[in-house]
Amino acid sequence: MIVSMKRMTLVAHKADEANILNALQATRAIEVISSGEDNGALAALERAQTRLQQLGDALKTMRPYAQKKSFLVSPAEAKAEELFSMLPEAVALCDKLSLLKRELSATKSEIDKNETLIAALRPWESFPADMQTYPISKHVKYFTGLIAASDVEKLENIDAVAEYQLFNEGILRTCVVACPVDEAKSVANFLKSLDWTDYLFPKMPGTPREAMEELSEKNRTLNAKQVELENELRESATGREPLVEGAYDAAVIERDRALAAAELARSAATFQLEGWLPADKEAIVSQAIHSVTDAYYFDVREPEDGETPPSYVENSAFVTPFEQVTNLYSRPDPKGIDATPYMTPFYVLLFGMMLSDAGYGLVLSLLCFLFIKLKKPSGGTAGFARVLFWGGLSTMLWGVLIGTFFGMDFDVLFGTVNKFPLILDPMTDPIGMLIICFGLGFLHVLFGLGLRMKLSLSRGDWRTAFYDTLSWIFVLVGLVMFGIGSAVAGVPAIIGKIGLYMAILGAVTLLIFKGRESKNPVGRTAQGLFELYQISGYLSDILSYSRLFALGVATGVIATVFNDLCNMLMTSPNILMKIMGTAVGIALLIALHAFGLAINTLGAFVHTARLQYVEFFGKFYEAGGRPFSPLGYRTKHVRISQESPDTAK
Amino acid sequence: MEINWGIVFAAAAAVLSAAMAGVGSAIGVGMAGQAAAGVVSEDPDRFGSCLLLQLLPGTQGIYGLLIAFVIATKAGLLGGAVQAVSVTNGINLLLAACPAAFGGWLSAIAQGKVAVSGINLVAKKPEEFGKAMLMTVMVETYAVLALLISFLLVNGVKIG
Repeated sequence: MIVSMKRMTLVAHKADEANILNALQATRAIEVISSGEDNGALAALERAQTRLQQLGDALKTMRPYAQKKSFLVSPAEAKAEELFSMLPEAVALCDKLSLLKRELSATKSEIDKNETLIAALRPWESFPADMQTYPISKHVKYFTGLIAASDVEKLENIDAVAEYQLFNEGILRTCVVACPVDEAKSVANFLKSLDWTDYLFPKMPGTPREAMEELSEKNRTLNAKQVELENELRESATGREPLVEGAYDAAVIERDRALAAAELARSAATFQLEGWLPADKEAIVSQAIHSVTDAYYFDVREPEDGETPPSYVENSAFVTPFEQVTNLYSRPDPKGIDATPYMTPFYVLLFGMMLSDAGYGLVLSLLCFLFIKLKKPSGGTAGFARVLFWGGLSTMLWGVLIGTFFGMDFDVLFGTVNKFPLILDPMTDPIGMLIICFGLGFLHVLFGLGLRMKLSLSRGDWRTAFYDTLSWIFVLVGLVMFGIGSAVAGVPAIIGKIGLYMAILGAVTLLIFKGRESKNPVGRTAQGLFELYQISGYLSDILSYSRLFALGVATGVIATVFNDLCNMLMTSPNILMKIMGTAVGIALLIALHAFGLAINTLGAFVHTARLQYVEFFGKFYEAGGRPFSPLGYRTKHVRISQESPDTAK
Repeated sequence: MEINWGIVFAAAAAVLSAAMAGVGSAIGVGMAGQAAAGVVSEDPDRFGSCLLLQLLPGTQGIYGLLIAFVIATKAGLLGGAVQAVSVTNGINLLLAACPAAFGGWLSAIAQGKVAVSGINLVAKKPEEFGKAMLMTVMVETYAVLALLISFLLVNGVKIG
């Protein structure tokens, strides 16, 4: 159900600000509205964000050393204070880690640099002279470079003026050309015409070989240092993940509080907080403020026109998970109606009908149950797991009704004769099953129309309720009664007659009153006629429920296909082949049924959702609310346990 | 040797249904998979919702397989005694397979295109996953209707 929201204003001493925000955060009940002014809290917010970033980076650094978490481990629980007590130690660890990491990456880049140098010097290994001093000469000009092997012969062309020497083999050959200083220009030009690249020796003393040895020696030391740093990093990181995760969550809480603080309006001595809170949480909030200080002003009022409160719903424990399904479509308009409680029974029913296999239902429910119990998920995941759990139960029920278990007939399974299916077998009586589907669809659509009427009436708009909605209910119910009266034998003729009159009454009402806002009689009639044309829309709505049958049959037939396939493997006359076939067949059977379950569950989920969104919500639902996001504990790793009983609902 | 045309038509019906719908689904899932991989390369957290959207055009292939299997069982093509299928019945089965074959083929491709757009939508606005899914499922309605009518028609052919 939609909980009405109230607008609150709180004024208190600045000195109490931090404590009050802290207490309000624990209630998880208020959403702060921005005052729109710069109040000097931005620096604090920035600090909080930086710290969060640091801890996040540290977590990333630690990830390679973290213990593998088993998939089914539920998140830890802690109180907010416990998390905050982790902060100092975690921040110290964080600094240490980032220092180590920086040093490590510096070492690594140093090693890489030296490796590159060594690789560049390797072709010059046989160069005999000191790299820095050899070219110092008044009369000789040296050219050092790399020349393509194919061009080496061409060097003979300048034999008259220059000498050259090669130092290695290969495609690119290291080469030094020497010539008198006077000839330098012409030799340089000549070299340019060849496939020649100038090479500059690095600024290192000694021959290339000596330099390479020196570099290798350096790298040996650096490698040792790297190993040492890595060990140190591993030692500091191992087993400390829970600490940093807790501190990260503490930093999230702190950041959220800083965000809220940045929204406040401030005067010299006081601050003012504007916010939204659910009407039923008023007492909790005022108590939380009262626990901090007596000096405050707290006012709660109804929202005014032009103020859009966030959309907040509260439902029973059974219905709450299904809010996730509604949210996938859109949150309800705060002035509208929360569709979730009305949708839930139909969702469960229709889901079961689409999957409709007792075995699949059993497995699905069991898996979801185990997942919820062991992993203790929260938020959306928890919601969907519960939705599928209930869907699985419903699937089991439908599976029993139409008599299939993993694609096998119950009769075959239990050795009974014609005891199952309890209602009908869609494979042999497809038309009967289709009638059930359309019947359910008819009820669903009618229920949606009823809700639309209720909504109109609750707003005091009885004209819309009776002229536009009740008239349609009359038309639809009347037509169905008329149809039953004329098509089914044994039904008293009076029912068909009443139906006919109801349908005519409804249609006439629509024709006359639909265009009641129009003064022009022609326009009015046209609007009425157009509205009557919507009957095709209702027809297609109800036909759309045939998917219940199609998907149900699909599950059953596919499961049968899997069974037959594996059965073929297992029934070889050769004993050896039979043993092997049985082993392969059983493994294949499990894999195929797992696949079938997954794909059909997906199908059932999305098609049930579609029937709800289009055929059902289309009749009455007003979408477009914005979610209520209260100041609370949006932690990632650790769940915050409720601290005091008064924060519970 | 005399060709039993009834059986030939029945086999053609099964082949048509499985092959056409399968081809359509493969194209649809393939397109959506490319888009999904692109989005996941930017943001690995989107993998779950992208995978669901990618899978949606895959159901047509399963519907095609389903109709093919029902036809093959009916005509006794899967081992056991081959039923005496008259030419009329064979042609009826072939026609009955057409909705699942062509409806599945083209709707899977169309659905794949919507899934691609839906995946792009999820990349930009992850919270609108529900709408992307709904739009994609809208196309599948017609595959489901095709499956339904194919199933009813095949069921209606009386053999033996």
